[in-house]
Amino acid sequence: MSDFEPRIVGFLCNWCSYAGADLAGVSRFQYPTNIRSIRVMCSTRVSPHLLLEVFKAGADGVMVGGCHIGDCHYITGNYYTEKRIMLTKELLRLAGIEPDRLRLEWISASEGERCANVVADFVKKVRELGPSPIPRDSRLALRLDAATEAAKVFRLRLLSGKEIKLTGEGNAYGEKVDPERFGNILRNAAQEEFQRNLILELTKCSALSVKEMAKETGEATDATLERVVALRSKNLLALSVVEGMTPKYKAIIVGGV
Amino acid sequence: MSDENVRIGVFVCHCGTNIGGFVDVPAVAKYAASLPDVAFASDSLYTCAENGLASIRDAIKDHGLNRVVVASCTPRTHAPLFQAVCEEAGLNKYLFTFVNIREQCSWVHMKEKEKATEKAKDLIRMGVARVRLLQAQEESRIAVEPKALVIGGGISGMTTALSLADHGFPVILVEKDGELGGFVRNLNNLYLDGKDAVETINPVIGRVRANRNITAFLNSRVVKVDGFIGNYDITLSVDGREKKDKVGVIVVATGAMEYVPYSLYGYEQFEHVVSLTEFEILCKNKALPKIHSIAFIQCVGSRGQDKSYCSRICCNVAIKNALNCAENYKNMLGREETGAEVKAPVEMKAWEEISERRRRRRGRRGEEEGGEAPQAAPTEALEITIFNRDVMAYGVDHELNYNKAREEHVRFVRYTPENLPKVNMEGDKLVVDYWHDTLKMQRKMNVDMVVLSTPLISQPDAKDLSKLLKVPLGQDGFFLEAHVKLRPVDFATDGVYVCGTAKAPADITECVDQALAAASRAAIPLARGYVQAEALTAKVNPDICTGCGTCEAVCPYGAIRKTEKGVAEVIVAACKGCGCCGATCPEGAIDQSHYTDVQLLAEAKAALEGVVH
Amino acid sequence: MERSVLVIGGGVAGIQASLDLADKGVIVHLVESSPSIGGRMAQLDKTFPTNDCSICILAPKMADCYGHPNINVLTYSELIGLEGRKGRFQARVLRKARYVDESKCTGCGECLQKCPTKGIPNDFEAGLATRRAIYMPFLQAVPRVATIDREHCKFLTEGKCGVCKKVCKREAIDYEMKDAILEIEVGAVICATGYDVWNPKVAGEYGYERFPNVYTAMEYERLTNAAGPTGGHVVRRSDSQEPRNIAFIQCVGSRNVQLNHPYCCEVCCMHSTKEAMLAKEHKEDIKTTIFYKDLRACSKGFFEYVGRAKRDYGVEFVNSDATVQEETENHNLIVSYDVAGKSERREFDMVVLATTLIPRDSMPRLAKVLGVELTEFGFIRSKDRILARVETSVPGVYIAGYCAGPADIPESVAQGSAAAAKAVEALVEARVSA
Repeated sequence: MSDFEPRIVGFLCNWCSYAGADLAGVSRFQYPTNIRSIRVMCSTRVSPHLLLEVFKAGADGVMVGGCHIGDCHYITGNYYTEKRIMLTKELLRLAGIEPDRLRLEWISASEGERCANVVADFVKKVRELGPSPIPRDSRLALRLDAATEAAKVFRLRLLSGKEIKLTGEGNAYGEKVDPERFGNILRNAAQEEFQRNLILELTKCSALSVKEMAKETGEATDATLERVVALRSKNLLALSVVEGMTPKYKAIIVGGV
Repeated sequence: MSDENVRIGVFVCHCGTNIGGFVDVPAVAKYAASLPDVAFASDSLYTCAENGLASIRDAIKDHGLNRVVVASCTPRTHAPLFQAVCEEAGLNKYLFTFVNIREQCSWVHMKEKEKATEKAKDLIRMGVARVRLLQAQEESRIAVEPKALVIGGGISGMTTALSLADHGFPVILVEKDGELGGFVRNLNNLYLDGKDAVETINPVIGRVRANRNITAFLNSRVVKVDGFIGNYDITLSVDGREKKDKVGVIVVATGAMEYVPYSLYGYEQFEHVVSLTEFEILCKNKALPKIHSIAFIQCVGSRGQDKSYCSRICCNVAIKNALNCAENYKNMLGREETGAEVKAPVEMKAWEEISERRRRRRGRRGEEEGGEAPQAAPTEALEITIFNRDVMAYGVDHELNYNKAREEHVRFVRYTPENLPKVNMEGDKLVVDYWHDTLKMQRKMNVDMVVLSTPLISQPDAKDLSKLLKVPLGQDGFFLEAHVKLRPVDFATDGVYVCGTAKAPADITECVDQALAAASRAAIPLARGYVQAEALTAKVNPDICTGCGTCEAVCPYGAIRKTEKGVAEVIVAACKGCGCCGATCPEGAIDQSHYTDVQLLAEAKAALEGVVH
Repeated sequence: MERSVLVIGGGVAGIQASLDLADKGVIVHLVESSPSIGGRMAQLDKTFPTNDCSICILAPKMADCYGHPNINVLTYSELIGLEGRKGRFQARVLRKARYVDESKCTGCGECLQKCPTKGIPNDFEAGLATRRAIYMPFLQAVPRVATIDREHCKFLTEGKCGVCKKVCKREAIDYEMKDAILEIEVGAVICATGYDVWNPKVAGEYGYERFPNVYTAMEYERLTNAAGPTGGHVVRRSDSQEPRNIAFIQCVGSRNVQLNHPYCCEVCCMHSTKEAMLAKEHKEDIKTTIFYKDLRACSKGFFEYVGRAKRDYGVEFVNSDATVQEETENHNLIVSYDVAGKSERREFDMVVLATTLIPRDSMPRLAKVLGVELTEFGFIRSKDRILARVETSVPGVYIAGYCAGPADIPESVAQGSAAAAKAVEALVEARVSA
């Protein structure tokens, strides 16, 4: 693996981390050439499904840089960034990809040296993790697709978007939700949406029985059946054929792809 | 993306040897020319020099370019320059992309020329992938109603109103009380110049009344606000009648009120224990009883005792009153004490004013009225003690006053929150029981009067106003400015400003400074007559939006509202283009123009081109 | 009618005043004596009570100011004459020759690396670092243009060298450049010249400049700054070791009648608290102690900030005066102080002095030009201390920031805006009466 050069995509916010990277340049702090940065106005712009698609495109690592908490140019943007990254890491874990391939760093406009150090350290870390398995492992790629689709699901995005309000200000009745409890709710939702989307991804091309699905999702057959029921009620999955006594299902593809 | 024939021009800069010394620039330019849709690519020694800029202008015309990529230094300093050149050549400036191959390539990879060159190629490929998808954007202008609303008729509100009026704009001034002047009306004299408080602000009130640009409404309040910067539809309640108007900006100057030290240090329990404001009223009305010694206790109810903050002004107000007592005590005595002829029972009026204040409050707490004006204690000289934790005599003048007070033998006794002084009645004598930190012993002091320095607290209706205007309150209930350091009188929401004690405790001078500052900030949109809207705003797809309101909640600028159809709508005048709503929208109905999902993903994919799938 | 205003001083107060005016369509001439705008705030590491990175929040404002079509930024310039009256002043501005063509220099820094004349104390780094004869005061300088220091440049003093001219491919170096005087018509003037840091070596009891490990607070700010001379590592002058404990001493020179600074500088209690907290952020096991007279934490969120310093950062606050002696062997410092009437001594590795902040030494000269009165301490006297702090005895001349008396950043910003409001009022009045 000594000749492995990680491909790393960076998303840097205009006001702090991109400025910090500029300062690293002005101060001539040297760091490895592996990172390719994309400038965004605020780190909050970077949504989970976008990050997952970048992994799908073959990135060995992705770094998101924002202002330090409290310093955000857009006041509260980076609080949401933090939540989005946590959710993305959870989805990566579910898909079977090392969450450490995604890194969130707060870099201020005066932290040129730190910027260089952070990039160097991340490159080292990704080097240790080795090349992304996605381009070569179709099974993992399919799981990543499921995670990406899960990240687009209304329920997960709603929960993730409301986390700060619900744990900070409270709900419509002024009741605050315990952050730990909320974390559990979000994790459970992520798990559920991932598994459902995995079933959909699996059945996109060929009809599968519940048992066959369970083998891939790693869940018990009855749990898988529950998901199948849920997906059928949402009109996302349809009975395709019955082979002998075994019903086989196929995903309903919307939009005529 | 679109049907037009994309023709991209790529301009790679050597920046002398800054890039050229570490990156093979001609090779990079040659590579750029090979990329799809690139119609022209060149390199120059200094792209930002006049000949470099001219070559961009010429190439746009000669080669019919409709997209431009410049690969040189950082967009943070040089983007405006190149964008201007594009515009000069008739190309919308948003069809331009900047690729940073100096700060983030050549300067940080000075020892790896080959890899730096490869990276520069990758970065340009990314820029080309991005620029291909960019669309022209227009910066729209939104007209501003050249009129201001100022809420609060105290010194802050009046100063803002006067300044805006003197800028030449009509102002509506709304005061909930029956007269202008606010909190300052309670005060005796002002510190630093010692002038009578009411006499100081009366000319200001006079100028407000006389100014033809100002319409002041008394006994009135704001009941409804709709709209956004430049275009607020407001509804006022004036003497109970509704009144509608349209304004461009709103300034909040609602002030603060005094904390009431219920159940602290014998307040309302013993005669002659009064709050600082009550003491001011006694002095103002020349109704002090004859006393031998007086104690001021600082930080009553503040700095961790009930309220967490320091109220900034009370130390200096106490010092002023101590100096008043030391220098001018005889002139503040009541009629009986001096034996002089005083028309009407002025001192009675003062005590009535105080008990009326207390009664009104008790009325709110549902308690019975009680107590009567205390009688004078006949003694000769005057001893003054200020029990304090830290004396906040900040700046030049307060510190000098503090020194003067010490020269006048005002005693300053320090206490700690662990050893609070106690106020008791022993026989018919008030006694302050305190811990002497240097002597390390408990001591007692007989006093005739105790003055409790209590903090300023936020107005009880601040919360309602904050909801009305969609601007935040801080933890202590005071209005929260956009940035504590650099935007002290702005709210994050454009078009709404704040000044004076509505924001935090402040003295009269600081209120005036802030009020003028708020006037200056509020006058910007009024003077321009329009708001230049950010071109790169969020955009809602109304066909997908379900009106869940999540985006509205995450927007720090109040720049999203629901339309009558129940779907989200971006208020272009208020949006700053951070993209938070887009990344949050559960339906994926919002995208960030110029930073769309498609554009960002194309850029990322270009970075990863060549990875084996 | 004259639709322009002269702003003197490119610190945060002057920048704010300029932006407020320019945004209203007023033409602003911003005169700054040093080669870059930014002022004191650009030097600070973090700002209280949010611990925001100072340059990060200031740099966008500096860029806005420089790029604003209505603002004419005149760095390396001074006001030398003012005639006329409110509504119609004639100002004379001296543009010192910087020997670098502002329109050609790209700020690439090539010349800064090659100039052979080294070892000149760098004022921006509070003297903790050196610079060369051609220099940019700091990395984020605005404009990002080099300046040649004519007193040290070998070519300008001795006629030999010329290295910078040789390495500059943009041909921006111009040794022939001369000082120029600009005549500008303006309707109003805003003065926002800020402060100087008083040199505490006069007060021998603190040992500044005698003991190597005694620092001023401004030096410490640069020491903790990631872009500073040590890259943000707090190390001692004597042995480059990290200190294990630091004493911060308040009111050094201020609240002192003998030194004619009987006033309080308003910001020191807070900046020392911040610096003590930052020390902890840099190195967790460091011990920090603040010796203070009165802890003046009396603006929004300040008292809570001090509470956080005590609770979360373990900063120790001792209510006492303090003096400094040196342990000669290892250059550690012995701080003597009183607690409850008892004299005590403690050893520290480093001492940071919160020195008095005084009006600029150029203030008397500038006051004469402007015709404004100064107070006995050298601040510009307000027309009325209560209701007109930003106005002066001269109609049409306004003041903002520390030159009008102690003020922290938000106060300076507010006063910058306030002075802008008064200046516009003056312009409107002049138009009406014309």
